[in-house]
Amino acid sequence: MVSTDTLPALRRFLPWVGVAARLIVGGVWIAAGLLKIPDPAENVRAVRAYQLLPESIVPTIGHLLPILEVLLGLCLVLGLLTRLNGVVSSLLLLAFIVGISSAWGRGLSIECGCFGGGGGPAEGAKEKYPWELARDFGLLFLSVWLIWRPRTPWSLDNRLLVQ
Amino acid sequence: MSKKRSIATEKSNARRAAERAAAIRKEQEAKERRRRTLTVTVVVLVVLTVLLGIGYAVQSSRDTTGQVATPPDGVVEKYAFPFGDPTAPVKVAVYEDFMCPFCGQFEAVSKDMLERYVDQGDVEVRYHVISFLDGSSNTDYSTRAANAAGVVLDTTGPEAAKKFHDLLYANQPEEGSDGLSDDQLIEFAVEAGAQESDVRQPIEDLKFEQWVKNATEESSKQDVATTPTVMVDGESVDFETLDDLLASTTDAIESALNN
Repeated sequence: MVSTDTLPALRRFLPWVGVAARLIVGGVWIAAGLLKIPDPAENVRAVRAYQLLPESIVPTIGHLLPILEVLLGLCLVLGLLTRLNGVVSSLLLLAFIVGISSAWGRGLSIECGCFGGGGGPAEGAKEKYPWELARDFGLLFLSVWLIWRPRTPWSLDNRLLVQ
Repeated sequence: MSKKRSIATEKSNARRAAERAAAIRKEQEAKERRRRTLTVTVVVLVVLTVLLGIGYAVQSSRDTTGQVATPPDGVVEKYAFPFGDPTAPVKVAVYEDFMCPFCGQFEAVSKDMLERYVDQGDVEVRYHVISFLDGSSNTDYSTRAANAAGVVLDTTGPEAAKKFHDLLYANQPEEGSDGLSDDQLIEFAVEAGAQESDVRQPIEDLKFEQWVKNATEESSKQDVATTPTVMVDGESVDFETLDDLLASTTDAIESALNN
């Protein structure tokens, strides 16, 4: 019988999937945010390029998003309020997936602006959409994993929240 | 018999009491855990909100777009360099960045066509020089070049500005390079007809920097997400390739002229 041996092994292994998810998703958020911080005006234009949000909130989103991404990334890497941050991460990724799909659907040729840039020359932008979506779906899967299994080794949650 | 029964009762009472105590303890521990989780969550959330607020304030204050800026003398529609007869029936707006390689290629293939229409008095071209590729050079070449074009327009007029614009595209630096130096920009300005003594200071001091930022922001509000973007009488020309763009622009101009 397999189950007697594999179940405990699986139980030991699963938390480390969570650690990997935290580091990957958190690392991507930190990189994405840091690359956007140098040019706030560019972020505003990148948000505007999607033509989805009303102009009155476009600058606010453009200024807020990079900071939110860095903080979210730090929390995930440190394992701080992992479940809550998994929810925030999933919601943001869903929003990006909607944004990119809708830009694609409307035939817009824009840069995703995911890692800074955006509002730039978008040669070949349309060929990039599927890859950007695939990446975001992958990150979404890992974020949802963290909602399902938020308790992982090497996390601040383990110290702050009693088991 | 009764003695035995009472011992059994006592035992079971004791066990029940112990169980109750354990249950209460367990519940208290659970309560304590919940309280602690809540406290930690609230404290962390407050700290994160404060950090988010500070970061937002910093980002907003670093974004100077929209602040009042003096435009160069001679611009039309606040942000455009005019080329051609202002009474020409068709207006062609071209949005471009001096660093954008595709703009350079577009300039090379469209120059003769546009100049022919302008010479015939059919078209006025309005160059919207914007700057979003500062990250593609090590020296903010996009902004420096756009500013310099503004300086030439301001000091020497639209013909010199058009000549300067053509010179910068004919000598376009590669993406990722240092771009042209201020001295080279000044040399080209002089070649286009400007006096060095007029243009050196404002080119070096980025006199129209804020105006360039505002022009870039305004273009994004016009849904210009790619460069070059060409609009014929306000209608954006769709394209996939450079050949498309050239052909569609010519078609759009022709159909505008025939209307």
